[in-house]
Amino acid sequence: MIARARLPRDRERDLEKATSELLLALADDDFVLGFADSEWTGIAPYLEEDVAMSSMAQDELGHAAAYYGLLADLSAGDPDRIAYDRPADAFRHCRLVDHGRGDWARTMARRWLYDSANAVRLEALAGSANRPLADLVVKVRREETYHLLHGEAWLERLARHHGEPHRRLAEALELVGPDAPSVLAPLPSEALLVDAGIQPLPGAELLTRWSARIEPVLGRLGLDLPAAAPAALDPRTARSGHGAAFTWLWTEFSSVRALDPRATW
Amino acid sequence: MLPRGDPRQGDGNLEPFEVFRQEREGEPMRHGGSVVAPDPTLALHYARELYARRGESLRLWVVRRADIVELDDQDLLNPPLDRSYKKPGGFVMRDKLARARERTGQSKRTASPGRPAPADDQAGSP
Repeated sequence: MIARARLPRDRERDLEKATSELLLALADDDFVLGFADSEWTGIAPYLEEDVAMSSMAQDELGHAAAYYGLLADLSAGDPDRIAYDRPADAFRHCRLVDHGRGDWARTMARRWLYDSANAVRLEALAGSANRPLADLVVKVRREETYHLLHGEAWLERLARHHGEPHRRLAEALELVGPDAPSVLAPLPSEALLVDAGIQPLPGAELLTRWSARIEPVLGRLGLDLPAAAPAALDPRTARSGHGAAFTWLWTEFSSVRALDPRATW
Repeated sequence: MLPRGDPRQGDGNLEPFEVFRQEREGEPMRHGGSVVAPDPTLALHYARELYARRGESLRLWVVRRADIVELDDQDLLNPPLDRSYKKPGGFVMRDKLARARERTGQSKRTASPGRPAPADDQAGSP
Protein backbone atom coordinates (compact mmCIF):
# COMPACT_ATOMS: atom_id res chain seq x y z
CA MET A 1 0.00 0.00 0.00
CA ILE A 2 1.27 3.42 -0.89
CA ALA A 3 0.78 6.21 1.63
CA ARG A 4 -0.94 9.24 0.23
CA ALA A 5 1.62 11.99 -0.43
CA ARG A 6 1.14 14.83 2.04
CA LEU A 7 0.09 18.04 0.36
CA PRO A 8 2.20 21.11 1.29
CA ARG A 9 -0.86 22.63 2.93
CA ASP A 10 -1.25 19.60 5.21
CA ARG A 11 2.39 19.90 6.15
CA GLU A 12 1.98 23.55 6.97
CA ARG A 13 -0.94 22.75 9.22
CA ASP A 14 0.93 19.92 10.92
CA LEU A 15 3.92 22.18 11.48
CA GLU A 16 1.75 24.86 13.02
CA LYS A 17 0.26 22.29 15.36
CA ALA A 18 3.74 21.05 16.29
CA THR A 19 4.95 24.61 16.90
CA SER A 20 1.97 25.19 19.19
CA GLU A 21 2.90 22.02 21.06
CA LEU A 22 6.45 23.31 21.59
CA LEU A 23 5.31 26.77 22.68
CA LEU A 24 2.77 25.28 25.08
CA ALA A 25 5.44 23.04 26.65
CA LEU A 26 7.80 26.00 27.12
CA ALA A 27 5.02 28.22 28.49
CA ASP A 28 3.49 25.65 30.84
CA ASP A 29 6.89 24.67 32.27
CA ASP A 30 7.69 28.26 33.29
CA PHE A 31 4.11 29.03 34.34
CA VAL A 32 3.73 26.04 36.66
CA LEU A 33 7.24 26.32 38.10
CA GLY A 34 6.69 30.05 38.65
CA PHE A 35 3.52 29.38 40.62
CA ALA A 36 5.05 26.47 42.55
CA ASP A 37 8.06 28.58 43.60
CA SER A 38 5.89 31.58 44.46
CA GLU A 39 4.48 29.40 47.25
CA TRP A 40 7.62 30.44 49.18
CA THR A 41 6.64 34.10 49.25
CA GLY A 42 6.57 35.11 52.91
CA ILE A 43 8.06 31.87 54.23
CA ALA A 44 11.48 31.60 52.55
CA PRO A 45 14.45 31.03 54.92
CA TYR A 46 15.16 34.76 55.35
CA LEU A 47 13.98 38.10 53.99
CA GLU A 48 16.54 38.58 51.20
CA GLU A 49 15.98 35.06 49.89
CA ASP A 50 12.24 35.64 50.10
CA VAL A 51 12.51 38.71 47.86
CA ALA A 52 14.91 36.95 45.46
CA MET A 53 12.82 33.79 45.22
CA SER A 54 9.58 35.71 44.71
CA SER A 55 11.20 37.89 42.07
CA MET A 56 12.53 34.87 40.19
CA ALA A 57 9.14 33.15 40.38
CA GLN A 58 7.70 36.33 38.88
CA ASP A 59 10.35 36.20 36.11
CA GLU A 60 9.10 32.71 35.22
CA LEU A 61 5.52 33.97 34.94
CA GLY A 62 6.86 36.75 32.71
CA HIS A 63 8.56 34.23 30.44
CA ALA A 64 5.38 32.14 30.36
CA ALA A 65 3.31 35.22 29.43
CA ALA A 66 5.65 35.86 26.50
CA TYR A 67 5.41 32.25 25.25
CA TYR A 68 1.61 32.27 25.67
CA GLY A 69 1.65 35.50 23.67
CA LEU A 70 3.41 33.77 20.74
CA LEU A 71 0.96 30.91 21.02
CA ALA A 72 -1.96 33.32 21.00
CA ASP A 73 -0.57 35.01 17.88
CA LEU A 74 -0.48 31.63 16.18
CA SER A 75 -4.02 30.66 17.12
CA ALA A 76 -5.65 34.10 17.26
CA GLY A 77 -6.34 33.37 20.93
CA ASP A 78 -5.99 35.20 24.23
CA PRO A 79 -2.89 34.52 26.40
CA ASP A 80 -4.90 34.83 29.65
CA ARG A 81 -7.47 32.33 28.45
CA ILE A 82 -4.75 29.87 27.45
CA ALA A 83 -3.07 30.28 30.84
CA TYR A 84 -6.10 30.23 33.14
CA ASP A 85 -9.09 28.69 31.38
CA ARG A 86 -7.76 25.22 30.67
CA PRO A 87 -8.62 22.15 32.74
CA ALA A 88 -5.71 20.73 34.75
CA ASP A 89 -5.25 17.78 32.41
CA ALA A 90 -4.77 20.07 29.38
CA PHE A 91 -1.52 21.44 30.82
CA ARG A 92 1.64 20.25 29.06
CA HIS A 93 4.36 21.00 31.61
CA CYS A 94 6.94 18.32 32.31
CA ARG A 95 6.79 15.80 35.14
CA LEU A 96 9.62 17.50 37.02
CA VAL A 97 7.41 20.48 37.88
CA ASP A 98 4.55 18.20 38.94
CA HIS A 99 6.18 17.63 42.33
CA GLY A 100 4.99 19.72 45.25
CA ARG A 101 7.51 22.26 46.45
CA GLY A 102 8.41 20.18 49.53
CA ASP A 103 11.14 21.59 51.77
CA TRP A 104 13.73 24.19 50.74
CA ALA A 105 16.20 21.51 49.62
CA ARG A 106 13.61 19.98 47.29
CA THR A 107 12.67 23.35 45.84
CA MET A 108 16.33 24.20 45.23
CA ALA A 109 17.17 20.75 43.82
CA ARG A 110 14.24 21.03 41.42
CA ARG A 111 15.14 24.60 40.48
CA TRP A 112 18.70 23.66 39.66
CA LEU A 113 17.67 20.58 37.67
CA TYR A 114 15.10 22.59 35.76
CA ASP A 115 17.30 25.63 35.15
CA SER A 116 20.25 23.53 33.98
CA ALA A 117 18.07 21.52 31.57
CA ASN A 118 16.20 24.63 30.43
CA ALA A 119 19.53 26.37 29.71
CA VAL A 120 20.46 23.55 27.29
CA ARG A 121 17.04 23.70 25.64
CA LEU A 122 17.08 27.50 25.27
CA GLU A 123 20.63 27.50 23.95
CA ALA A 124 19.42 25.33 21.07
CA LEU A 125 16.17 27.26 20.54
CA ALA A 126 18.07 30.53 20.19
CA GLY A 127 18.85 29.21 16.70
CA SER A 128 15.24 28.27 15.91
CA ALA A 129 13.94 28.81 12.36
CA ASN A 130 10.87 30.36 14.01
CA ARG A 131 12.13 33.94 14.29
CA PRO A 132 9.69 35.25 16.93
CA LEU A 133 10.59 32.29 19.16
CA ALA A 134 14.35 32.68 18.56
CA ASP A 135 14.18 36.43 19.34
CA LEU A 136 12.24 35.78 22.56
CA VAL A 137 14.57 33.00 23.68
CA VAL A 138 17.60 35.29 23.36
CA LYS A 139 15.98 37.64 25.91
CA VAL A 140 14.75 34.88 28.22
CA ARG A 141 18.23 33.34 28.37
CA ARG A 142 19.71 36.53 29.79
CA GLU A 143 17.46 36.23 32.86
CA GLU A 144 17.69 32.46 33.14
CA THR A 145 21.48 32.68 33.44
CA TYR A 146 21.05 34.29 36.86
CA HIS A 147 18.40 31.82 37.95
CA LEU A 148 20.81 28.99 37.20
CA LEU A 149 23.65 30.67 39.12
CA HIS A 150 21.34 31.24 42.09
CA GLY A 151 20.23 27.59 42.06
CA GLU A 152 23.80 26.41 41.75
CA ALA A 153 24.90 28.63 44.66
CA TRP A 154 22.24 26.95 46.82
CA LEU A 155 23.08 23.47 45.59
CA GLU A 156 26.70 24.07 46.65
CA ARG A 157 25.74 25.46 50.03
CA LEU A 158 23.42 22.57 50.85
CA ALA A 159 25.79 19.92 49.50
CA ARG A 160 28.87 21.21 51.31
CA HIS A 161 27.19 21.41 54.72
CA HIS A 162 27.27 17.87 55.95
CA GLY A 163 24.56 16.53 58.16
CA GLU A 164 21.01 17.72 57.68
CA PRO A 165 21.48 20.07 54.66
CA HIS A 166 23.36 17.44 52.63
CA ARG A 167 20.96 14.68 53.70
CA ARG A 168 17.87 16.67 52.72
CA LEU A 169 19.40 17.58 49.36
CA ALA A 170 20.27 13.95 48.64
CA GLU A 171 16.70 12.91 49.52
CA ALA A 172 15.32 15.63 47.24
CA LEU A 173 17.45 14.48 44.31
CA GLU A 174 16.35 10.90 44.97
CA LEU A 175 12.70 12.00 44.76
CA VAL A 176 12.62 14.51 41.88
CA GLY A 177 15.79 13.42 40.03
CA PRO A 178 14.19 10.56 38.06
CA ASP A 179 11.73 13.07 36.54
CA ALA A 180 14.35 15.70 35.64
CA PRO A 181 14.91 14.43 32.06
CA SER A 182 11.22 15.15 31.32
CA VAL A 183 12.22 18.80 30.64
CA LEU A 184 14.12 17.66 27.54
CA ALA A 185 12.17 14.54 26.58
CA PRO A 186 11.11 14.53 22.91
CA LEU A 187 7.70 16.02 22.14
CA PRO A 188 5.29 13.79 20.22
CA SER A 189 5.83 15.93 17.10
CA GLU A 190 9.57 16.31 17.53
CA ALA A 191 10.57 14.81 14.16
CA LEU A 192 8.59 17.48 12.33
CA LEU A 193 9.98 20.32 14.47
CA VAL A 194 13.57 19.19 14.04
CA ASP A 195 13.12 18.67 10.30
CA ALA A 196 11.81 22.24 9.93
CA GLY A 197 14.59 23.68 12.11
CA ILE A 198 12.06 25.06 14.59
CA GLN A 199 13.63 22.89 17.25
CA PRO A 200 17.24 22.75 16.04
CA LEU A 201 18.26 19.72 18.14
CA PRO A 202 16.36 16.53 19.07
CA GLY A 203 15.64 15.72 22.72
CA ALA A 204 18.18 12.89 22.76
CA GLU A 205 20.99 15.31 21.85
CA LEU A 206 19.77 17.85 24.43
CA LEU A 207 19.79 15.15 27.12
CA THR A 208 23.38 14.19 26.26
CA ARG A 209 24.50 17.81 26.46
CA TRP A 210 22.67 18.34 29.75
CA SER A 211 24.28 15.25 31.34
CA ALA A 212 27.72 16.44 30.24
CA ARG A 213 27.00 19.78 31.87
CA ILE A 214 25.63 18.61 35.24
CA GLU A 215 27.73 15.51 35.90
CA PRO A 216 30.91 17.43 36.81
CA VAL A 217 28.90 19.59 39.25
CA LEU A 218 27.26 16.58 40.89
CA GLY A 219 30.61 14.76 41.05
CA ARG A 220 32.36 17.74 42.64
CA LEU A 221 29.64 17.98 45.32
CA GLY A 222 29.44 14.25 45.99
CA LEU A 223 25.82 14.01 44.82
CA ASP A 224 24.03 11.30 42.86
CA LEU A 225 21.29 11.71 40.31
CA PRO A 226 19.18 8.55 40.02
CA ALA A 227 18.47 7.02 36.61
CA ALA A 228 15.64 8.54 34.56
CA ALA A 229 12.14 7.23 35.16
CA PRO A 230 10.90 5.61 31.91
CA ALA A 231 7.79 7.83 32.03
CA ALA A 232 10.00 10.93 32.08
CA LEU A 233 11.55 10.04 28.72
CA ASP A 234 8.44 8.78 26.92
CA PRO A 235 6.86 11.46 24.68
CA ARG A 236 3.41 10.14 25.63
CA THR A 237 3.90 10.49 29.39
CA ALA A 238 6.61 13.12 29.98
CA ARG A 239 4.04 15.94 29.92
CA SER A 240 0.75 14.40 31.00
CA GLY A 241 -0.90 12.58 33.91
CA HIS A 242 -0.03 15.35 36.33
CA GLY A 243 -1.18 13.99 39.70
CA ALA A 244 -2.53 15.35 42.97
CA ALA A 245 0.12 17.99 43.76
CA PHE A 246 -0.53 19.73 40.46
CA THR A 247 -4.31 19.47 40.80
CA TRP A 248 -3.97 21.34 44.10
CA LEU A 249 -1.71 24.00 42.56
CA TRP A 250 -4.04 24.37 39.56
CA THR A 251 -7.01 24.91 41.88
CA GLU A 252 -4.98 27.60 43.68
CA PHE A 253 -3.78 29.54 40.64
CA SER A 254 -7.09 29.39 38.78
CA SER A 255 -9.26 30.13 41.86
CA VAL A 256 -9.49 33.92 41.54
CA ARG A 257 -10.39 33.80 37.86
CA ALA A 258 -12.89 31.01 38.54
CA LEU A 259 -14.78 33.32 40.94
CA ASP A 260 -16.12 35.23 37.96
CA PRO A 261 -14.95 33.95 34.58
CA ARG A 262 -16.53 36.88 32.72
CA ALA A 263 -14.99 39.62 34.85
CA THR A 264 -12.75 42.19 33.16
CA TRP A 265 -9.42 42.52 34.96
CA MET B 1 28.60 38.75 35.56
CA LEU B 2 28.11 37.09 38.90
CA PRO B 3 30.96 34.91 40.08
CA ARG B 4 30.28 31.18 40.11
CA GLY B 5 31.92 30.70 43.45
CA ASP B 6 33.96 32.70 45.85
CA PRO B 7 37.16 31.51 47.52
CA ARG B 8 36.19 33.48 50.61
CA GLN B 9 32.84 31.85 51.27
CA GLY B 10 31.46 32.51 54.71
CA ASP B 11 30.94 30.07 57.55
CA GLY B 12 27.28 29.59 56.67
CA ASN B 13 25.94 32.22 59.04
CA LEU B 14 24.15 35.27 57.74
CA GLU B 15 26.18 38.45 57.79
CA PRO B 16 25.60 42.01 56.54
CA PHE B 17 26.90 43.29 53.20
CA GLU B 18 26.76 46.94 52.13
CA VAL B 19 25.44 47.71 48.66
CA PHE B 20 26.60 50.64 46.52
CA ARG B 21 24.87 51.49 43.27
CA GLN B 22 25.45 53.63 40.23
CA GLU B 23 22.35 55.05 38.60
CA ARG B 24 23.84 56.48 35.42
CA GLU B 25 27.14 56.20 33.59
CA GLY B 26 29.63 58.68 34.99
CA GLU B 27 27.84 59.13 38.30
CA PRO B 28 29.53 58.18 41.55
CA MET B 29 28.72 54.95 43.36
CA ARG B 30 26.32 55.83 46.15
CA HIS B 31 25.40 53.79 49.19
CA GLY B 32 22.06 52.11 48.50
CA GLY B 33 21.54 50.04 51.64
CA SER B 34 22.47 46.62 52.87
CA VAL B 35 21.55 42.95 52.58
CA VAL B 36 22.23 39.98 54.80
CA ALA B 37 23.53 36.85 53.12
CA PRO B 38 25.54 33.74 54.01
CA ASP B 39 28.26 34.46 51.42
CA PRO B 40 29.36 37.00 48.77
CA THR B 41 27.78 35.07 45.88
CA LEU B 42 24.30 35.07 47.36
CA ALA B 43 24.86 38.65 48.58
CA LEU B 44 25.28 39.70 44.93
CA HIS B 45 22.10 37.86 43.94
CA TYR B 46 20.16 39.60 46.71
CA ALA B 47 21.67 42.99 45.88
CA ARG B 48 20.55 42.50 42.28
CA GLU B 49 17.02 41.59 43.34
CA LEU B 50 16.71 44.34 45.96
CA TYR B 51 18.52 47.24 44.27
CA ALA B 52 18.34 46.53 40.55
CA ARG B 53 15.34 44.41 39.67
CA ARG B 54 13.38 47.37 38.32
CA GLY B 55 16.22 48.57 36.12
CA GLU B 56 17.29 51.30 38.56
CA SER B 57 21.01 50.50 38.70
CA LEU B 58 23.78 50.33 36.10
CA ARG B 59 26.35 48.86 38.44
CA LEU B 60 26.46 47.43 41.95
CA TRP B 61 29.28 47.06 44.44
CA VAL B 62 28.74 44.66 47.30
CA VAL B 63 31.11 44.84 50.25
CA ARG B 64 31.23 42.66 53.33
CA ARG B 65 30.52 45.03 56.19
CA ALA B 66 33.32 43.37 58.19
CA ASP B 67 35.76 44.40 55.42
CA ILE B 68 35.01 48.10 55.83
CA VAL B 69 37.62 50.08 57.76
CA GLU B 70 35.67 52.45 59.94
CA LEU B 71 36.65 55.62 61.74
CA ASP B 72 34.14 57.15 64.08
CA ASP B 73 36.42 58.52 66.82
CA GLN B 74 35.09 62.02 67.50
CA ASP B 75 38.42 63.09 69.00
CA LEU B 76 39.84 62.69 65.50
CA LEU B 77 36.86 63.76 63.43
CA ASN B 78 35.60 66.69 65.53
CA PRO B 79 38.42 67.69 67.87
CA PRO B 80 37.46 69.90 70.80
CA LEU B 81 40.06 72.60 70.08
CA ASP B 82 39.49 75.60 67.85
CA ARG B 83 40.23 74.61 64.29
CA SER B 84 38.97 77.66 62.46
CA TYR B 85 42.51 78.21 61.15
CA LYS B 86 42.08 75.11 58.98
CA LYS B 87 39.08 76.62 57.23
CA PRO B 88 39.43 78.93 54.24
CA GLY B 89 36.94 81.53 55.53
CA GLY B 90 38.28 85.08 55.81
CA PHE B 91 40.15 85.15 52.53
CA VAL B 92 38.51 87.76 50.31
CA MET B 93 38.79 86.49 46.78
CA ARG B 94 36.82 89.10 44.83
CA ASP B 95 39.58 91.65 44.28
CA LYS B 96 42.17 88.98 43.54
CA LEU B 97 39.90 87.41 40.91
CA ALA B 98 39.12 90.76 39.30
CA ARG B 99 42.83 91.52 38.98
CA ALA B 100 43.50 88.08 37.53
CA ARG B 101 40.76 88.58 34.94
CA GLU B 102 42.16 91.94 33.94
CA ARG B 103 45.56 90.39 33.51
CA THR B 104 44.30 87.62 31.23
CA GLY B 105 41.81 89.86 29.37
CA GLN B 106 38.88 87.65 30.38
CA SER B 107 35.61 89.18 31.41
CA LYS B 108 33.38 87.38 33.90
CA ARG B 109 30.92 86.44 31.16
CA THR B 110 33.47 84.84 28.85
CA ALA B 111 34.78 82.48 31.48
CA SER B 112 35.30 79.16 29.75
CA PRO B 113 31.91 77.59 28.96
CA GLY B 114 30.79 74.38 30.55
CA ARG B 115 32.68 75.01 33.75
CA PRO B 116 31.17 76.61 36.79
CA ALA B 117 32.30 80.21 37.27
CA PRO B 118 34.53 80.62 40.32
CA ALA B 119 32.84 81.92 43.43
CA ASP B 120 32.88 85.68 43.35
CA ASP B 121 33.19 86.73 46.91
CA GLN B 122 34.51 84.55 49.65
CA ALA B 123 35.74 81.11 48.95
CA GLY B 124 34.89 78.36 51.38
CA SER B 125 32.33 78.33 54.10
CA PRO B 126 31.72 81.15 56.54
